[in-house]
Amino acid sequence: MDDFNDELFPLALLMDELKHDDVSNRVDAMQKLDTIAIALGPERTLKELLPFLKDVAQDDEEEVFAVLASKLGDFIPLIGGHQYCEPLIQILTILASMEEPIVRDKAIDSLNKISLELTVEELNNIFLSLIQSLSTGDWFSKKIASCGLYKAVIIKVNSSIRKELLNLYLKLVCDEYPMVRRSAASNLPTLIDLLTEFTEIKPNDANKVNNEDWDIISKMFQHLINDDQDSVKLLSIDVLISILEFFQKINEQSFNSEFLSSSLKLIKDESWRVRYAAAERFTSIAKNFVNNESDLFQLIDPFINLMKDNEGEVRKAIAKQLPSFSQLLTKYPSTKATILNKIIPVVNNLSQDSQESVRASLASTITDLSPILEKQSTIEKLLPIFLVMLKDEFPDVRLNIISNLSVVNETIGINLLSTNLLPAITELAQDHKWRVRLAIIEYIPKLAKQLGEPFFNDELLSLCMSWLWDPVFAIRDAAVNNSKELTIIFGSQWAEHEIINRLLNESSTNDDNNNLNNIDYSNFIIRITCLFTITRLIPVIDYSIISKKVLPFINNLIVDAVPNIRFNVAKSYFVAAETLIKNRRKFGISDEDLNKVINLEILSNLEKLQNDEDVDVRYFASKSIQGINELLA
Amino acid sequence: MDLDTDVPMEDVEEHQTKLKVTNPKASTSTNNSNTNGRNTLSSNVHDENAIGSINQLDEWIDKLSKCEPLSEADVKKLCDMAIEVLQFEENVQPVHVPVTICGDVHGQFHDLIELFKIGGPCPDTNYLFMGDYVDRGYYSVETVSYLVCMKVRYPNRITILRGNHESRQITQVYGFYDECLRKYGSAAVWKLFTDLFDYFPITALVDNKVFCLHGGLSPMIETIDQVRELNRIQEVPHEGPMCDLLWSDPDDRGGWGISPRGAGFTFGQDISEQFNHTNDLSLIARAHQLVMEGFSWSHQESVVTIFSAPNYCYRCGNQAAIMEVDEQHNRQFLQYDPSVRPGEPTVTRKTPDYFL
Repeated sequence: MDDFNDELFPLALLMDELKHDDVSNRVDAMQKLDTIAIALGPERTLKELLPFLKDVAQDDEEEVFAVLASKLGDFIPLIGGHQYCEPLIQILTILASMEEPIVRDKAIDSLNKISLELTVEELNNIFLSLIQSLSTGDWFSKKIASCGLYKAVIIKVNSSIRKELLNLYLKLVCDEYPMVRRSAASNLPTLIDLLTEFTEIKPNDANKVNNEDWDIISKMFQHLINDDQDSVKLLSIDVLISILEFFQKINEQSFNSEFLSSSLKLIKDESWRVRYAAAERFTSIAKNFVNNESDLFQLIDPFINLMKDNEGEVRKAIAKQLPSFSQLLTKYPSTKATILNKIIPVVNNLSQDSQESVRASLASTITDLSPILEKQSTIEKLLPIFLVMLKDEFPDVRLNIISNLSVVNETIGINLLSTNLLPAITELAQDHKWRVRLAIIEYIPKLAKQLGEPFFNDELLSLCMSWLWDPVFAIRDAAVNNSKELTIIFGSQWAEHEIINRLLNESSTNDDNNNLNNIDYSNFIIRITCLFTITRLIPVIDYSIISKKVLPFINNLIVDAVPNIRFNVAKSYFVAAETLIKNRRKFGISDEDLNKVINLEILSNLEKLQNDEDVDVRYFASKSIQGINELLA
Repeated sequence: MDLDTDVPMEDVEEHQTKLKVTNPKASTSTNNSNTNGRNTLSSNVHDENAIGSINQLDEWIDKLSKCEPLSEADVKKLCDMAIEVLQFEENVQPVHVPVTICGDVHGQFHDLIELFKIGGPCPDTNYLFMGDYVDRGYYSVETVSYLVCMKVRYPNRITILRGNHESRQITQVYGFYDECLRKYGSAAVWKLFTDLFDYFPITALVDNKVFCLHGGLSPMIETIDQVRELNRIQEVPHEGPMCDLLWSDPDDRGGWGISPRGAGFTFGQDISEQFNHTNDLSLIARAHQLVMEGFSWSHQESVVTIFSAPNYCYRCGNQAAIMEVDEQHNRQFLQYDPSVRPGEPTVTRKTPDYFL
C-alpha cells in the first residue's frame, strides 16, 4: 500500500499543483517538471506523464505553456532516448502552433534542440512530415513556426528532398500574411549560411548544393526585395549578405553585377527603415565587392547620400560605418582618393549635424579615420574637425572624441596633438559634467608618458592637483589614482617633490607669499583625500620617502577627531607594512630595521587604534594587525 | 490596485516581549544606546559569530552592489539582524558630523550607486538617509536590501530614517509589494521588510543643530523631547504626531494648513522659526517633495528639502542632490544627474523603436 502511494506520489502532486487556481503556482509546478520525470523514470514518463502533458498543452495559460515548452527540450534522456521522441514532438508541435510568440519560440527552440539528438532516419520520418504539415498549415502561426525548423534538417537530407524543402520555403516567402513572410525572411540567412558551411566542409559531397537550389533561393530573394511591406523588405538585406558571402566563399563572381544592382536598390530605397537597415550593414555589403574596382566605386556615391540622408537615424548608422568602409576604399588608388575628395567634406558637415546623437555617433568612430588618412591629411583635415567636436555642447560628443584620441596620437605624434588639443583639454577639465572631467583624467597618464616631465610639470601638473579637491568623490578618486600612474611614469623623486611635499605643505617653493597655496586641513574631506593619495602612492615610492614622509604623516592622523580618518589610517598601515615586507630586498632594509618599523611604529600604533572608542576603527585595526601577522608568519 | 485596509497592524507590546525572549543579550544594552557603546556586530572582532556575520554581510553587500537581490532566506536573516540594531536606536537618533544627508531614493538603485560615486563610498563617508527607499523605481528590493545591509554592517556610519513609503499600506499601492511578488513569487519578503520598517528611527539630530526627518513638523510636537516620548514601533498611523513627522510639508502660507496629501499638515515660516528657536536648532533638513534642482531652501533658510532620486520615476527630468555637512557645520550641496545605465550605449539615450 505504501509502495503504491510512493510511486503515484510525484505525478499526483504535479496534477494537483497544475490544478491550482493561481497561475504562478502552476508555473512553479511546471518548473519542477524534470525532477518529476526523473522520479517517475523513463517508462512512466513516456506512458503516463507525456499523455497528461498533452492534455495540459491544450488547456492552460500561456505562462504555463512557455515553461512547458522550454522544459521539454531537455526531455530526450528522461524518456529513455531519441527513439521514443514522437509523443514529445507531438506536444511541442501543439505548442509551436500557438499564436503567442513566446510559447512558439520556446517550442521551436526545444524542437531544434531535440533534432540534434535524432538519427538521420528519424529526422526524415518524423521531422520532415512535421515541417511539411506545419508549412502547409491552415493557420498563419503554424507557418511561422515551420520557418524556424528548416535549419534542423536542411543540410541533413539528400538533394532531392532539399529541393522540395526549398520550394516549400519559397511558398512561405511568398505567403499572403506578412507575419509569415517576415518569419521566413528572418530565418533565411541562417539557412543560406548552413548551405555555405556545408559546401565549404564537403565540397564534393554527392548531395552538394547545386544550381537548382540557388535558383530557388534567388527567387526567394527577388520576392523579398520587392515585398510591399517595409518590415519584410528590410530583412532581405541580411539575406543578400548571406548570399554574397556564399559566392565570395566559392569564388564565383559572375553574379556580382546583378547583386550590386540589388544592393544599390536597397540602399536607395524609398523607405527610411530599409535605408537604415542597409546603412547599419553597409560595410558587410561592400566588402563583398572589394575585388572589383568599378563595383566598389559605384558604392561611394550611395554611401555619401546616406551620410546626407534626411533621416537622422540613417545618418547616425552610416557614421558608424565610416572607418570600416574607408578602409575598404584604400584598396585602389582611385577609390582611396575619394576619401579625401568626397567623403571628408561630408564628414565635416556631419560633425555639425543638427542631431546630437548623430554627432555623438560620428565622434565615436571619426578618430579611427586618422590611420587611414595618415599623418599629413589627419593634421590638415581631421584635427580641425576634432577641435570643433571637442567643443560640442553635447557632452557625449566630447567624451567620445577624447576616449578615442590614442589612435590619433599614433598617427600624428603627441606633440602636434598636445599643442592643438591642450587648450581644449584644459577647458574640458573644468567641465561641469563630472564624467567629462573623468574622461580627461583617465587620458592624462597616456598624455604624460609622451609629453615628458618638464612639459607636463609646466602644463598639466597644477590641473592634476586641482582634481584632488574636486567636489565629486569619483573625480577625487580618479585623481588619486592618476597620481599613482604619474609616479609610475615619472618616478619616486618626482612624486616626493611634486605631490607628497605639496600635500604635506612642505613644498620648497612655499615662502610667505605662497601660503595661500597651502592646504587647509580643517576639512575632513581634504584630510581623507591626502591620506588616500599618500596611501595609494606607498607601493610605488622609495623606502626613504615612506619612512621620512609618509609614516610620520599617517602617525599624526591616529588621533584625528573623525573616526572615518582613523579607520583609514588603520588600512594605510597595512599597505605600508605589506609594501615594506614585500620590497625589503629591493629597498635593502635590514631585518632589524624592518622589525623596528613594523613593531615599534606600525603595530604599536595599530594597537592603540584597536582600543579606539569607535567600533569600525577597532575592526579595521584588528584586521590590519591580523593581515600583517599573516605576512610576517 | 485597491488599498488593502485589512493588513494587520503589528502589536508593539507583543513584538517587544517576544524579542526580549529570543535575544536576552541585546536587551542588556538598551540603556546604553549611544552611538559608540551599542551592541553591534563588529564590537568584538575576535568573536567568531561576529566575524561570521561580518563576512556574510560583506558577501551580501557585494552581491547587492551588482543589483542582484538576496534570496528570501537571506532577507529573513538580514531583517532579524537589522531589528537587533534598529530597535535600540532612538526616535531622535543622534548623528555626528561630518555627515552627508540624502533624501528620497525610491527604488532607483543605479542612481543610489551614482550617489555613492558623488559623495564617496560608505563607510569612508558617513550617510544619513531621510526615508522613501522603496516604491516607484524598479529596484526597490535591491535598494532597501542594500541600505539595510550597510546599516547592519556599519551602524555608526549610516543612519536610515523612516519615510512615509516605509509602510504596509503605501507600498501596496506604489510598487514595492508588486515588485516583491514579482521577484520572489510571494509576499513574504514584503512582509519581512514592512515589519522591519516599524523599527526605523523617525528623526535624527545632527550635532544638536540640524533636525532631520522625512516630512515635516507636527502641531502636536513643540520640542524634540516630545518626539523622544513617542512609541514609534508600529505601522505609520493615519494621523497624529508620528504621521505628521513623515507626511507634512513646508508652505509659503503662515501657520498650520490642511495638507493636500490627506495626511500630515503644511507649516509656515513662523512655525519653523519657532521650532528652531525653541530647540536651539540651525536647520530642519527634510525630503518628501520632488524639487527640480535636487535641493530647495524654504522659510528663509530655516528649512531645506533634499531629494536624491534624479529623473524621478524615470521621467521628471529633475536633478538630485545630497548635502555634505562638515566638522565646522559648513554645508555643501552636490547635485547630480541620472546614472548611465549598464548595457545602455553611452552614445545615445533614446532607443529608437523601429522594429518593435
